Amino acid sequence: MSQVIACYKWVADEADIRINADLSVDLSKAKGKISDYDKNVIEAAVQAAAALGGKAVGVTFGTADAKPSLKDALSRGLDEACYINAQEASQADGAATARALAAAIKKIADVGLIICAEGASDTYSRQTAPRIGALLDLPVVTSVSKMDINGNILTAARKLDDCMQTVKVELPAVVAVLPEINPAPIPGLKAVLAAGKKTVTELKAADLGADLTPRSTVSEVKGYVMNRKNIIFNEGDLAEQVKALAAALRKEGVL
Amino acid sequence: MAGIFIYSDKADITSEIIGFARLNGKLPVVLTLSEKDAQALRNAGADKIIVIKGQSEMIENYARAIAAVLKNEGAELFAVGATPRGRDLAARVAGYLDCAMVSDISSASYKDEQLICTRMLYGGAVQQTEKLSGLSVITVPAGKYEPVQGEASLQTLELQADTRVSVVETAPIVKEGVDLSKAEKVVCVGMALDKAEDLQIARDLANVIGAEVGCTRSIAEERHWLPAESYIGISGAVVKPKLYISMGVSGQIQHVYGIRDAGLIVAIDTNEKAPIFKAADYGIVGDLYQVVPMLTEALKK
Ligand SMILES: Cc1cc2nc3c(=O)[nH]c(=O)nc-3n(C[C@H](O)[C@H](O)[C@H](O)COP(=O)(O)OP(=O)(O)OC[C@H]3O[C@@H](n4cnc5c(N)ncnc54)[C@H](O)[C@@H]3O)c2cc1C
Ligand SMILES: Nc1ncnc2c1ncn2[C@@H]1O[C@H](COP(=O)(O)O)[C@@H](O)[C@H]1O
Repeated sequence: MSQVIACYKWVADEADIRINADLSVDLSKAKGKISDYDKNVIEAAVQAAAALGGKAVGVTFGTADAKPSLKDALSRGLDEACYINAQEASQADGAATARALAAAIKKIADVGLIICAEGASDTYSRQTAPRIGALLDLPVVTSVSKMDINGNILTAARKLDDCMQTVKVELPAVVAVLPEINPAPIPGLKAVLAAGKKTVTELKAADLGADLTPRSTVSEVKGYVMNRKNIIFNEGDLAEQVKALAAALRKEGVL
Repeated sequence: MAGIFIYSDKADITSEIIGFARLNGKLPVVLTLSEKDAQALRNAGADKIIVIKGQSEMIENYARAIAAVLKNEGAELFAVGATPRGRDLAARVAGYLDCAMVSDISSASYKDEQLICTRMLYGGAVQQTEKLSGLSVITVPAGKYEPVQGEASLQTLELQADTRVSVVETAPIVKEGVDLSKAEKVVCVGMALDKAEDLQIARDLANVIGAEVGCTRSIAEERHWLPAESYIGISGAVVKPKLYISMGVSGQIQHVYGIRDAGLIVAIDTNEKAPIFKAADYGIVGDLYQVVPMLTEALKK
C-alpha cells in the first residue's frame, strides 16, 4: 500500500468574479487556478509518498476547463495524475464530488493515503474528505496541522477549536490537511518542464460507473455587494491626509 | 421518530439549533457523548436527549452508527454545530447516507416541507440558495438562533464506534487572545509587517483608541505572531466593531467576509489597487510604517 492520492480542484479565481448591478454573478472573466489550499495538499502528498516509498498521484474532477491544471499540479512534484473530465463537475455538490473522486480512487491500485484540503476556495464546504472516507469506508482524520508516517501508522495533530488532539490510525486512511501543514513551494522551471512528460490518465463520466447527480437543488446564485463610502486620501502631503482621516473619524463619532 | 437530530460539541450551539427546530415546529432530538453534556442541556427545550455509549471518545467515530439511527428513526434532518469536529461528523454521516448536505448555512427555513438554505461561496463573494428534501444534513454556525427552554427526556443508546482512529493525546489550547467578536474597535495587521516586533505599531494605535488587535489568517497560522483566535475572516473570527482599521491587509474576500458588519472600515495600504479599498469607508494609500505612527499621534490629541 504505497500510493498517495492528492485530491485537488481547479476553481475560478474569486478575485476575478464580477457582480453585475442586478446581483447576477459573472464568472466569464475569472481565470482558473488550483484551489489555494490544494497546493499544500499536493506538497503533503509528495512528502507522504516519499515516506511510504510510493507514488504521489493527483486526482481531479473537473470540466474540460480543468485541463490546464494538470501541468501545474504535476510541476508541483506529483508523479502522475488522474483527470476525471466530466461536464457533470460544473453542477456537482458535495455528494456527487465525493462519489466521482471515490470511484476514480477505487481504480487506482495500492492506495495508502488520500489527502484533501480542509476546504476548497470556491465551495469551502469542508465535506469532501469525510465523505470520501464514508464512501470507501476508510478511517478519516480532519483538521490536520501536522502528520508523521511511520511504517503503516500515521500520527496526526488535529487543530480543533478547543484543543490540539494527537491521533493515530493505521493506513489506508483519508486525511484533510490545514494549509499550515507545509509551505507549498513554487515550482522551478525544471519541474515545470518535467511535468509535460508525466503520465495523465483521463477518465470520462461513463468510465466511473458512479451516479454524478447532485443531491441538493441549487435554486439561486447571487452576488454579495458591500456598499461603503470609499473615500481614499491619496493626494498631497501624507501628514495632511492623516489629519483629514483623523478629522473624519472624529466626525463619524467612532472614537 | 421523525424530527431534527442535533449534535454539537458546543452546548451553546446545540441550544441554538434546538431553538431552530422549535421555531419550525419540529421535534428536536439531541445526541451527546456524555451524561454531563446531557445534564447541561436538560432544560434547553429538546424533546429527547440521547446519550451515546460506546468504545470511542471521538464523536466522529460514531458517524456510521449515527447514520443508521437517523435512517431507522425516520429523521428529517441532522443539524450539527459548525465546528471542526461537527463538520467532520456531519459530512461523514452525509457520506454514509449519500445524502445532501449544506455546510455552514447563512440561513435555513422550511417551505412546503423543503428546507431552503443559503450559504456563501467564493469566500463570501457569492450567495447560493439550495433546496433540500428528504433526510439531509446541515452544519449551523454559532449565534444564528435563539435558545428556548423546556425539559427533555433522557435516554442512553449503545452504538458501535469505528475505533480505527484513536486519540493519543489531547492538549488544551489556552485562549490567549480576547474575544474579537465582542470588540468595539479592532486594529488589524496583515502580512505587510516585516517582523513580529512591529506589532507594537498596531498596539500603540490600539491603546490610544481602545481597540483590540486582530490579524489576517497568514499572520496567525503561518507566522504564529498572534494566537489563532486573533485572525478575522471566513475561517476565523467574524467581527462587528464600530471601527475597524487595517494596515497592510490586502483585503482578500475571505478576510473581508469577517468585517462586513463593521460600522466603519478604514484601510491603510501601499497598493492603491488593493481590494481592501473597495471594502473601506476611508483609506490612506501609504506605508503603514509612516502612516500609522502619525495617525496614532493625531488621535492622541
Ligand atoms: C478557503 C480559504 C479561507 C481563507 N480564510 C481566511 C480568513 O478567515 N482570514 C484571512 O485573513 N484570510 C483567509 N484566507 C486567506 C486570504 O485569501 C488571503 O490570503 C489573506 O487574507 C491575505 O493576508 P494579508 O492581507 O495579510 O496578506 P497579503 O495579501 O500579502 O497583503 C499584504 C498587503 O500589505 C500591503 N503592504 C505591503 N507593504 C506595506 C507597507 N509597508 N505599508 C502598507 N501596506 C503594505 C500590500 O500592498 C498588500 O495589500 C483564506 C483563504 C482561503 C483559500
Ligand atoms: N472536484 C474536485 N476534484 C478534486 N478534489 C476535490 C474536488 N472537490 C473537492 N476536492 C478536494 O476536497 C477538498 C475540500 O473541498 P470542499 O469539501 O468542497 O470544501 C478540496 O480542497 C480538494 O482537496
